[in-house]
Amino acid sequence: MSERGHLTKREREALIAGAGAASGGMTGGEADDLPLLAETLADPSVWAQPSVALEYVVLRAVMSAKPAAFAPVTSIGPVQPAARRRGAPRHWRALSAAAAAVAVIAITAGITMTRRHEQPDFESRLAATALAPGAGASADIYRAKGGFRVELEARGLPHLADGQYYEAWLKNPAGTTVPIGTFSSGDGSSGDGSSGGGRVTLWSGVSPKEFSSLSISIEATDNDQRPSGRRVLVGDTRPA
Amino acid sequence: MYATSSRRSPPGSISMEASTLQAFRDRDAAAVRAMYREYGKLVYAVAHRFLGRHDLAEDAVQQTFVRAWQSAHRIDVDRDPAPWLATIAKHVAIDIYRREARRPTTALTDVMTRDRTDVNVSPEALDAVWHVRRAIDELPIDEATVVRLQHIDGLTQREISDQLGVALGTIKSRSHRAHRKLAGLLGHLRERTHE
Repeated sequence: MSERGHLTKREREALIAGAGAASGGMTGGEADDLPLLAETLADPSVWAQPSVALEYVVLRAVMSAKPAAFAPVTSIGPVQPAARRRGAPRHWRALSAAAAAVAVIAITAGITMTRRHEQPDFESRLAATALAPGAGASADIYRAKGGFRVELEARGLPHLADGQYYEAWLKNPAGTTVPIGTFSSGDGSSGDGSSGGGRVTLWSGVSPKEFSSLSISIEATDNDQRPSGRRVLVGDTRPA
Repeated sequence: MYATSSRRSPPGSISMEASTLQAFRDRDAAAVRAMYREYGKLVYAVAHRFLGRHDLAEDAVQQTFVRAWQSAHRIDVDRDPAPWLATIAKHVAIDIYRREARRPTTALTDVMTRDRTDVNVSPEALDAVWHVRRAIDELPIDEATVVRLQHIDGLTQREISDQLGVALGTIKSRSHRAHRKLAGLLGHLRERTHE
């Protein structure tokens, strides 16, 4: 190998082969792989590094995704009633309504009983900014398997135009901002342009203890992953 | 939080424990993080090899994990998830390539000339990228640095010694140790990482 000057492909192969021989020599199959290994080691893609923030971006995207059996993020606003089906016999409708009512009561009671025993680990009260003077929100934050579940109750958020959405963030004192989820303004827009409010579930991979500043901002569906700075709600987390 | 294992793995590879894969299958958020930390850089390297651009490769990583999450019920917890993820990554990369090709403001030629999109990259080249990246990530940083300077920058050991301010003998030792480990890939480089 030359002491000066750029290495040739043959010299780079010799580096590998020499080391391989030192550990017992090469078989025919190993020798066949030698040029491919040297070529791949010289491929910049093998050495390219994703940004540190990509982990958060991926987690956020996954948590916001909606597979058929799992939808962790709900949109704020009341659910629109389904269109009434025509032609169903009246007594079947009555029976269905009764069964649905029983189911709703049972589920609500179950949720209430479950939630009653679940105390949040952190809480936050969010105040409106000038961008949404009529808005307000509170958040209960629970330790969960693999992170923190943030139950956000918001009211009075402006109804957003197409291509916009709300995004929640946690920030630490050093200024590092971590996205914890996105949601839409839903269809609960009232006459003054604000939504009816509602509950949304978000997920955080960082602790609200260190990342103690919670905010909600308006974002656009572009490729810019950074906060827009258009914050509508701001607050601090504290142990519950 | 979740463990990795070297079972059912070629040299230099990392595999996840079945319990972690089961947690991913059960859509546990922590398992997503574990999966990303184990395979995120590998998926990125393959996507980068295919698309040739950092931003598109990161987009591909994001979409790959979302698709994996959405079809988590299909994961076989008793098998290395690498082939499954690599297959998703390749399909995602193809979709992104086609999307970029359709953009009026980002012509296909633009995508291809900014760096080097290569839709005809061979399966064995993708397998090699996957295996080599995995092996590089397992090298100590000082050894990986020497290997990168040799193979990417084409520097001799003397030049690396001068550049890093480290004794030539130390550079030679690091280079030899690293290449001995990398030589362990020989004979396994073409093993399939995609289905």
